[in-house]
Amino acid sequence: MEIIHQQLRSWFANAPDSVLLWVSIAIPILFVLSVFPGIFAYTTLVERKALGRIQNRLGPNRVGRWGILQPIADGLKLLIKEDIVPRRADKFVHFLAPVIAVIPSVLLFAVVPIGAGLIPVDLNIGILFAFAISTASVLALFMGGWASRNKFSLLGAMRAVAQVVSYEVPMVLAAVAVVMAVGSLSTVAIAKAQSGGILNVTRWFVFRPWGFVGFVLFTIGAMAESARTPFDIPEAESEIIAGYHTEYSGFKFALFQMGEYLASIAMAGITVTMFLGGYNGPGSGPGIFGGLLSMFWFFLKLGCMIVLNIWIRGTWPRVRVDQLMGFAWKVLLPMAIVNIVAVGFWHYLTFRPLAWVVTTLWLVIWFVVLTKLAATENVKPRTYRYAS
Amino acid sequence: MEPIFWILSVIAVLGAIFAITLRNLIHCVLSLILFFLGIAGHYFLLHADFIGAVQILIYIGAVAVLMLFAIMLTRHVTGDEGPRELLGGKWWAGMGTAVIIAGLLWAIIRKDALAQLLPAGAAETSVVEIGKALVADWVVPFEAMAVLLTAALIGAVVIALEEVIRKR
Repeated sequence: MEIIHQQLRSWFANAPDSVLLWVSIAIPILFVLSVFPGIFAYTTLVERKALGRIQNRLGPNRVGRWGILQPIADGLKLLIKEDIVPRRADKFVHFLAPVIAVIPSVLLFAVVPIGAGLIPVDLNIGILFAFAISTASVLALFMGGWASRNKFSLLGAMRAVAQVVSYEVPMVLAAVAVVMAVGSLSTVAIAKAQSGGILNVTRWFVFRPWGFVGFVLFTIGAMAESARTPFDIPEAESEIIAGYHTEYSGFKFALFQMGEYLASIAMAGITVTMFLGGYNGPGSGPGIFGGLLSMFWFFLKLGCMIVLNIWIRGTWPRVRVDQLMGFAWKVLLPMAIVNIVAVGFWHYLTFRPLAWVVTTLWLVIWFVVLTKLAATENVKPRTYRYAS
Repeated sequence: MEPIFWILSVIAVLGAIFAITLRNLIHCVLSLILFFLGIAGHYFLLHADFIGAVQILIYIGAVAVLMLFAIMLTRHVTGDEGPRELLGGKWWAGMGTAVIIAGLLWAIIRKDALAQLLPAGAAETSVVEIGKALVADWVVPFEAMAVLLTAALIGAVVIALEEVIRKR
């Protein structure tokens, strides 16, 4: 934002400053509101295509060549669909829920740096802001599920709340590792700390032992937080119809989907920023050319993360409710805490080869121990407490 | 700054009023969230970014959600309850509390007690300073709080476990 303001001032020196300020505020907002919903629309197409291929189908291919007009057709269809509100529903909350579903997801993009020096707002507490906002998204799921006055919706809402609250903890702790290593909560500082090295690549945090573990933990947590498929028990079709959005139709349903996808894209962006080097890549840096390259690298990595999400969604079965909770509290949470200790080792062992050996050994040993501990509990024969 | 201040204040006050007057329990919690949001906005307006974000993270993301979850686990899951009388008729208790709080606030605002409490340069509190204060000057209270919370957590688990054992 500041960069745009300065640039505008140098171009239009005669214009009043307040106008320039408003324009420089409007440009990032318009960018976020136009580019990321566009990415969302085409993510749905890519997702349907990829899932089709994984399931040995073709996917959408009727609207336009390769179905490239499918998102527009879907949007139009949802716009002109009848909007049904259950008679006993809490009308106001029912209406408010899909609106609130989109707001936090869009706000998340405020702290995602999309290129060298290109960020809507450089908050000095960027990461914390992102987590604070993303926890608010659970409210929409709850409000939607509760206001529908439908047993399945309510079950979905309860599952959503329990899941998001559980997975938030390991996710935040995984991010703490990065914050400790960088010494700042600002997303810009985190991205900057990963520049340099060979081809701007070797300093990415994913190429550190603790960074790799953090990346895996954070990706899993982000996927669970946005209720994507291995963790989509809030809307498990085969169990509770569609969970919290069972009673939503037309564009309200579309808004729920949009909120979910935008949140998962924003989380992918934050993952890229924290672990995959952000906008850093070969040739990225200041200046017009470096800036364009840095945007290219950011969006390429974002695309890779989105495809990874789709890939996992298409090939992994949904986890059971009890497995879901056990996984979060017995594996992810202790692993995240162990990872924080690993960053401590990394910070104090200044002799790098030794730091590599110690942190890797520490993490591997704990990983083996924790997975063994979690696994022994699952192989017992199943007991039925209520159904015997 | 002025219009933003008034908008946020209206949001916060309306949220607070709705939180105590609405009949439906869930609506009450939702308006309480509105109130928390207004307060968080005020923190951001005062350049206390960290406290604003923590306000959203803790009060909206954890406390309010926990309240909702707790209500959902009870039988009053629809949130419908009969007409509710404010304070159960004990209006004098509310008046007393209001007078005491108003008096305290008045004393603090009038005497610039807050300004005297803080040295002149400390208006810009950053995360770094808060963190340093927490693990240097205030490390003992901080650790005591941690132990207390852990004890509370273990206690909650023990209470819950007892119920499970008794059911068997």
